[in-house]
Amino acid sequence: MIRILDPTLRATPPRTTARAVRPARLGGATLGLLANGKTHGMAFLERVAEQLAARHGIVEIVRVTKANASAPALAEDAAMLAKRCAAVVTAIGD
Amino acid sequence: MALVERMLAGGPWRADEVLLHEPVRDRSVTAWHAAINAVMAGCRPEYFPVVGTALAAVGDPEFKLHGPATSTGGAALMIVVNGPVREAIGLHAGGNLFGPGARANATIGRALRLVLLNCLDCHPGVLDQSTQGWAGKYSLCFAEHEAASPWEPLSVSRGFRAEQSTVTAFAAESGHNVVVHAASEPERLLLSFADAMAALGSLSAGRSVIVFAPEHARYLGLAGWSRARTQTWLYEHACRPLADLKRAGKVEAQFLVNAETRRWLYGNAAGPTPDAADAHARVLPGDDAISVHRGLGPEDILLCVGGGAAGGHSAFFPSWSRGRSVPFVTKEVPA
Repeated sequence: MIRILDPTLRATPPRTTARAVRPARLGGATLGLLANGKTHGMAFLERVAEQLAARHGIVEIVRVTKANASAPALAEDAAMLAKRCAAVVTAIGD
Repeated sequence: MALVERMLAGGPWRADEVLLHEPVRDRSVTAWHAAINAVMAGCRPEYFPVVGTALAAVGDPEFKLHGPATSTGGAALMIVVNGPVREAIGLHAGGNLFGPGARANATIGRALRLVLLNCLDCHPGVLDQSTQGWAGKYSLCFAEHEAASPWEPLSVSRGFRAEQSTVTAFAAESGHNVVVHAASEPERLLLSFADAMAALGSLSAGRSVIVFAPEHARYLGLAGWSRARTQTWLYEHACRPLADLKRAGKVEAQFLVNAETRRWLYGNAAGPTPDAADAHARVLPGDDAISVHRGLGPEDILLCVGGGAAGGHSAFFPSWSRGRSVPFVTKEVPA
């Protein structure tokens, strides 16, 4: 008899959460920037924020840089961004 | 009993016990999945305690596996094994210990790689973005040649007892062969090691692993050099002027903002202020007098012994990353 075993975790997909509600517009909104902690992550996000602010009238920007690019964002940082920001942009920049 | 069940029975873990949790992608690897991959790798059941402990070591939150497993740096997961388990399972510490010839060395590391591929989806070119990678990514598991060491076993230097078996994990970039055939005095012998560590291609704030060949280790022992003295000497001499690093484009403006890289570059010397970040990548007056060392201190250099009885060939492995993300992690192998 042949028994087939799955060496992957595909049968147990990772936990997922629902996507956040997308804001209809960014005018007057607070924008979050979450840099992954690589050397130029925030420098890159600042350029993105400049473009978004100029086009959409963003009033406030909240910046968070992860202490380590290999680790997840801190739960308290994620909670703060979720509470304060209408939208968050995250990216790698090296 | 089927192969996977026999593999699982080789260790102390329940099938559903989580051996490794990777938090960035929220993946948990159970002993069951580790056992399947160990069978695929060609491990014998008696290797499984080492496989499981190695997974726990690279899964330690301090190790931050996501980085070395996916980065352009292309690190291998180095596993150094100490204690009685080495002989019990035939883990090789002698000639060709990094190369072919020993089933345990070849398959334990391969089991880790298969777990990364199959359970953490670290597929080359997709999540694993190694620019080049290196052959150690297939398997880099070896035993310390404790009998050839002039010092206490690596595991004892890491806080364990000699009768305990341990694995020590490290995210290693490709190794450098350090060849010295005609120097037996420690200061002359170690000069080649310090020079390899301070090569511009390798110099960073990162940690180092040195695997001394028995011949080189014997010279250090005959001269009465301790592990600590050897580490200190290497740290003090594995350095070059800050000006060299700047000329070679090894200093980035952002390094000045980060407290750790700032300390690495300038130590106690007065460097430019972060306001001058745009300027500091250029060679400034006084930069020739500032020495930049590999790592932040002697404790960043891990020393162990391995290889054949003949030959003055040792190895230096720099850590993954120009920063200091990856520590040495040592865990006990369950008896």
